[in-house]
Amino acid sequence: MKPKRYDVAIVGSGFSGIVAANRLADHNLNVVLLDENIHIGGQILRTIPEQLGTHTVSESDKVRKTGFRFIDNIKEKKITAMNRTVVLAIYPERELLVEKDEKRVFTIRPEIILFATGARERFLPFKGWTLPGVISTGAVQVFMKSSGILFSKKILIGGSGLFLFAVAHDFVKNGGSVVAVLEQTSMIDKLALLTQLSHQFSKLTEGARYISKLLFSGVPIRHRTKIIEARGDQYLQEVLTAKVDQKGAVREGSERIYQTSALAIGYGFTPNIELPQLAGCELEYEEGKGGWVVKVTDDLETSVQNIYAAGEITGIAGALKSLNEGALVALSILKKLGKLDEREFLPQFQRLTTQRKHHLSFGNYFNALYKIPDEAISLIPDETVICRCEDVTMGDIKNALSNGFQTPGAIKRATRIGMGRCQGRICGPVLYDIVAAYTKKPGSKIPLLSVRPPVKPVSLGLLVPGHE
Amino acid sequence: MEDLRIGTIKRNERIIIFVNGKEIRAYKGEIVLAALHAAGYKILNRSKDMGEGRGPLCGMGVCYGCLVSINGIQNQRSCMVEVEEEMEITIDETQTV
Repeated sequence: MKPKRYDVAIVGSGFSGIVAANRLADHNLNVVLLDENIHIGGQILRTIPEQLGTHTVSESDKVRKTGFRFIDNIKEKKITAMNRTVVLAIYPERELLVEKDEKRVFTIRPEIILFATGARERFLPFKGWTLPGVISTGAVQVFMKSSGILFSKKILIGGSGLFLFAVAHDFVKNGGSVVAVLEQTSMIDKLALLTQLSHQFSKLTEGARYISKLLFSGVPIRHRTKIIEARGDQYLQEVLTAKVDQKGAVREGSERIYQTSALAIGYGFTPNIELPQLAGCELEYEEGKGGWVVKVTDDLETSVQNIYAAGEITGIAGALKSLNEGALVALSILKKLGKLDEREFLPQFQRLTTQRKHHLSFGNYFNALYKIPDEAISLIPDETVICRCEDVTMGDIKNALSNGFQTPGAIKRATRIGMGRCQGRICGPVLYDIVAAYTKKPGSKIPLLSVRPPVKPVSLGLLVPGHE
Repeated sequence: MEDLRIGTIKRNERIIIFVNGKEIRAYKGEIVLAALHAAGYKILNRSKDMGEGRGPLCGMGVCYGCLVSINGIQNQRSCMVEVEEEMEITIDETQTV
């Protein structure tokens, strides 16, 4: 079958993707927007679908409202928006192998590719995190925002990062009860200080607002408190926690048990770099950007010509940076395709680039703060499952390390870690941290696991020509 | 069983889905995973070596911890599909992830 022709293919329809799609379509470019999810909009713009029902309480978040307007505009413009569409592979000359609705597979060959694949949650495994009843903070949000369903009436929330507070806030607002929020860094102290110092970071004050609202609603917030173990027979029954010092070591005698059948965990975010990696785009490791990210020029072009990247995959910093980079990358692509001259381009480019620097420095501060210390990694007990798909434990990985398997790839071959259905998306980032902690090397010196097509599992029958 | 559906959302069309042959209520537009959870189906499969019961983790198509069979097609991520009238879902708790 002949590949379909588009000027620009955008992979991922979160903030960056939808902003870029709108701006490119305004200049009569033929744009296709691909997203794996049920609805266009990515994670932050999840909402109750019209078909399901309506909120009887209004939504006030300004950034989300901006996003919803972009989604509405997509429907009116010449943009081919494809939901439930998975990019399985990318081949030379920007040929994308795509699967839609788990029914058909086809190829697209655009002039330009924009990767705006966003981020996923990262985790710090503890004993029992595989027990049903332990869920990610992201999933709790998905249940509420997309389906109007609480994961449970009562929930304990723990991990690190501002997102914990956003989830707790929404959970209470929707009629649930939050037992406590456990934040393992000393982030709250620092946040309070920083809010006084830097007013330009609206996101920060937003975070502070969440926290103050939570305190007001009576939800206990415990900082420097870590989840040690989730326990239960078949299903979660109780959670053991303890106070930790700055390096993550448990302070003896500070243990506490929470009786709960629901625990939401989140430890910040990690960029979805698999497709750019497969495309041969150069990656870079920067703690301030949240680990491994796609390396881009000031124009947001990757090291591969005509492939661009925007949003969380160039550095974790939240929705405002993604909005900014969506506009910036569209501008760069328009210039590249001759739709803008230097005089139109430059003032906008300079303005957006200045804004982008502010977002990056915001992200830089938080990513450094949330970095899981090496000590916390080496404290993971041997019986803890690291790879959920293949049941590979911390002990298995330590064995492999002491037997001379010193890179993630070597450990993968020795233990099967990362060989399951998720293809290492959950355990991979943990494995990198473990290898860095045990080999005493900086994250930038830890070689990444290979990415090979198909990057997501696909039914073999769909790959057979003529199959419907 | 406690009702996990959020009261401040006015829902439209109530539908029936079948889970392992049993009739379950759901609302058009809900995600299969969330509807299953609300109906009390919280353990969806079993881990490979240890045989422990497992449920979902990420809720957004990454972890593959919520695989079920939908209308006869196996290994569907239930977090990436919406419920439809008379949809037939099979959960095999004994199946490995």
